[in-house]
Amino acid sequence: MRRFLLSRLAQAGLVALVVGALSFVLMRALPGDAAMRIAAGRYGPDARIAEAAEKVRLELGLDRPWFVQFADWLGNLLSLNLGHSLVTGAPVLEELEVQLGASVWLAAAAVVLSLLLGPIIGVVAGLRPNGWSDRLGLAGSVMLRALPPFVLGLLLMLIFAIWLRWLPPAGFGSWRELVLPAFTLALGLAAVSSRVTRNAIASVTKAPYFTFARHKGLPEAVVVRRHGLRNAAIPVVSYLGVQAIYLVEGVVVVESIFAYPGIGHALVHAIVERDIPMVQGTALAMGLIFVAITALADGACLWLDPRLRRAS
Amino acid sequence: MNAPARLQHLNARDLSATNLCVHAASGPIVRNVDFSVGPGTPLTLLGESGSGKSLVAQAVMGALPAELQASGAIHLNGHDLLTTSSEDRRKLWGRRISLLPQEPWLALDPTMKVGEQVSEVHRFVHRQSAGESEVRTRDNLANVGLDRSGALYPFQLSGGMCQRAALAIAQASDCGLMIADEPTKGLDAQLRDGVVTRLKQEVAAGRLVFTITHDVGVARALGGTVGIMLDGRLVDYGPAAEVLIRPTHDYSRALLQADPETWAGRTPDRVGDSVLTGHGLAKSFGDKTLFTGLDVEVGAGEIVCILGPSGCGKTSVGNILLGLLQADAGKVERRGDIAALRYQKLYQDPPAAFAPHQVVRRGLQDLVRLHRLEWDKVEGLLARLKLPAALLDRRPGQISGGELQRLAILRALLLEPAFLFADEATSRLDPLSQKEVIELLLEIVEETGLAILLVTHDRALAEKIASRTIMLQGGPA
Amino acid sequence: MSVQAPPAATALRFPPSRLAGAGLLAALAAFAILGPWLITADPAEQDFSASLAPIGGEYLLGADHYGRSLLARLAHGARLSFGMAVLTTLTAALPGILLGLLAAWHGGLVERLLEFLANIVLALPGLLLVLLLLAFAPGDFGPLYVGLALTLWVEFYRVTRATTAALLKQPHIEAAKLLGFPPGYILRSYVLPAIAANTVTLAAFAMAAAIIAVSTLSAISVGLQPPTPELGSMIVELLPYYSEAPVHLLLPALLIFLLVLALQLVAQRQDG
Repeated sequence: MRRFLLSRLAQAGLVALVVGALSFVLMRALPGDAAMRIAAGRYGPDARIAEAAEKVRLELGLDRPWFVQFADWLGNLLSLNLGHSLVTGAPVLEELEVQLGASVWLAAAAVVLSLLLGPIIGVVAGLRPNGWSDRLGLAGSVMLRALPPFVLGLLLMLIFAIWLRWLPPAGFGSWRELVLPAFTLALGLAAVSSRVTRNAIASVTKAPYFTFARHKGLPEAVVVRRHGLRNAAIPVVSYLGVQAIYLVEGVVVVESIFAYPGIGHALVHAIVERDIPMVQGTALAMGLIFVAITALADGACLWLDPRLRRAS
Repeated sequence: MNAPARLQHLNARDLSATNLCVHAASGPIVRNVDFSVGPGTPLTLLGESGSGKSLVAQAVMGALPAELQASGAIHLNGHDLLTTSSEDRRKLWGRRISLLPQEPWLALDPTMKVGEQVSEVHRFVHRQSAGESEVRTRDNLANVGLDRSGALYPFQLSGGMCQRAALAIAQASDCGLMIADEPTKGLDAQLRDGVVTRLKQEVAAGRLVFTITHDVGVARALGGTVGIMLDGRLVDYGPAAEVLIRPTHDYSRALLQADPETWAGRTPDRVGDSVLTGHGLAKSFGDKTLFTGLDVEVGAGEIVCILGPSGCGKTSVGNILLGLLQADAGKVERRGDIAALRYQKLYQDPPAAFAPHQVVRRGLQDLVRLHRLEWDKVEGLLARLKLPAALLDRRPGQISGGELQRLAILRALLLEPAFLFADEATSRLDPLSQKEVIELLLEIVEETGLAILLVTHDRALAEKIASRTIMLQGGPA
Repeated sequence: MSVQAPPAATALRFPPSRLAGAGLLAALAAFAILGPWLITADPAEQDFSASLAPIGGEYLLGADHYGRSLLARLAHGARLSFGMAVLTTLTAALPGILLGLLAAWHGGLVERLLEFLANIVLALPGLLLVLLLLAFAPGDFGPLYVGLALTLWVEFYRVTRATTAALLKQPHIEAAKLLGFPPGYILRSYVLPAIAANTVTLAAFAMAAAIIAVSTLSAISVGLQPPTPELGSMIVELLPYYSEAPVHLLLPALLIFLLVLALQLVAQRQDG
């Protein structure tokens, strides 16, 4: 257990390192007055910018070795002193707080919807391998996987928001604005989780322990419940960890397409506007969400599969 | 270990088959099988893989694959099972008929505790309360010596313990008829004896026991009635005392003669200096010490056997001597004038020693070219080892275990070996193949003075052919 | 930009779906390679009088809002997507496979160093890494190429290393060494055929991932910018004209779909 937590902390540390390092270089490497930029990022618009910029210029000019500066930068990052947005002047942490809720809602809704769609289709297909439900599921999955999330999102927007006018095409406020973005992500996730489930069910029902459970005289419902579901759940839950990548990337894309004001949307805007403190803050937030999701999925796997709990 | 306690569901008085056949789309693959099993008289069906014995067991159980059909009659207490619907036959599972599965470590649910896998029989098949199920489970586990293992998962148990767990489950079912499907497969000699003892206890308690095996020793130990199957037919059938001593069919005779117990001793004598020696060898894996201060010496013309239970480090000794594994302490010495290439190894699982996607001929050609040998040598050895040339154009997966092991020997012989490490080289082979391979090795030893280090768990085999034997004690319970 | 794929690896086989995918891929590759050469229209030439011209007639596949030939733009867009996919995959595959083999064979310090590098890249989802690099120069080809290549490299490295390490532990490798076969032979005859099937699958998935990534990033305005004919940005540009020219909008989407579908059919991890 402790090793598990330690390794996840290490992963979070790596995220901070990568994001921090790239932002550090960005701050200094972009064209324009680096000192002004750093000053604005550090102190915000209320400070006296000209004086602050001078201070920073002196600092930079004093030939402080870069790794000391970098250590400073990382120190700020790790203590969540994320500076101010170069565009709005507001503290980055404040902006993130607002956006974080929106993104978490989106991700959670997407996961819940995908879990309702994917595994159920997968179970039905897996119980009758190569039957019509299986072939249909495979065809649907292959088609969906060939659609990049942004294309799928735009198509759904065209159909449901613009032609049918059932749902709003963009924005944030009620559950209505959540439906299309969440559904876009859910369909992509379900396309894969349905096949993973199908394969898991198909292989479990062929396994010797499944047959033996029947031979023991257990009623079929008991066999499926006690020996089928848990064993089939293990590869499915384990794969959720891999799907975290698709989910986090998808959140960024879908928020941009639907103008949904979450962290992903903010990240893309910050890049276009060269607002580096925001780039750092949003990238860090998304990275940490990613670590959290994979930690949850892997933790669930440890709980389900006793073989993984072996000390070695 | 106590005798099975409860026998309240014992209401099977006899099992008999009349003209039992199993049909595939291409025709009958099992024909005209007649047998009967009664209390106190267990039935053992002997045969090699492909003889049809497993299909007979599946037909009795009612678990034939969908594409096969059984015909004839199977009477359990006078009731013909083959005229019963498959749903009704399924209801007999766990209530009248129980099955001891092949390879129980695969038949146990890897994510469920062993105790729960026993107690669910009481709870869901016999409809006992949760509390009562727990009590009976503890009894079942204690009966097989697993009283402290109820909370363990199958991966934490050894092969022998898994076998005992499967037996506990069968005892929990408490059926009149017990079908034991290859109960000693994959187990070493010591564990095999334990399994046979427990099966005999079931017989003594009045259960009908029907065993499928390829191990003649098991049939001999169980007694009762023995049937020998070949190509889907019963070629010999009768009381064990008769069939196993005076069989009527040629195949039965060959099968019995393949059992090392019946062999005449033929231990080769040493003809020369020692070829390979190890002094003071020690090896541990993790916190388990396998052996320390071990001395091994193999001389030209000798067969040295290493005996011991699974996991005691027998294979590690050979690997250390060949330089494939580093010992924790000690020294290995080779006789100075022998080239490194003349030290070779035979593997337990014959297909594993060949590249799976490479046609055998290609591998041999590459070997011949590498060492600048002549291809005639290969042809000569093929004839000597009685291997059809057609085998060369197949892949390892398409060749039988016995033939593949002989190909491995051929491959080693090309390099004129002075030393051969045979790592359980016959454990996975059918009895007839095992006999062939051992006789071949003995011939080569006598002709060329080859030194062999043989790892085996078969004590009878070691007794008959070993010049010297080394016993290793370690290993899990 | 991750292309999701259900796990499993098998030897190279050719079921009908894979052949269909290969056929589709060949046709699309022909369109991408020969198209820009055969189609004489200039994808950048604007003609406002022909704005949103319908399909058929003078413009074979219609014209966009600036009157540019969609056929020409699609052909150039396909070439761009294909070209980027091939380029980034090659850049990722060659070092990835070589380093994977090295790590599996030698282990030790080399392997640990490479594992650490791989973990750094894997700490973030690939698209985020590319976005961070794009922050240096949004719309530039450089960061896009570097970011994609880095992300794709890891998969080639990890799969090659895992497959090779597992293979090298098997008895037939030990037997080959005992029989005197040199490492070169073992690599050539045993290891490479085993990783070949995996490599084809990985390469197809990598190319699909690259195509999705480039079109996605261009669609959200941080990838390649107009007037470069990029399929993703074309969709977004035509979006406001959905009521007058719905089909025009769907054409680049269809092309992306067909490209990714073809690659996924070729990659084909077997089901069941």
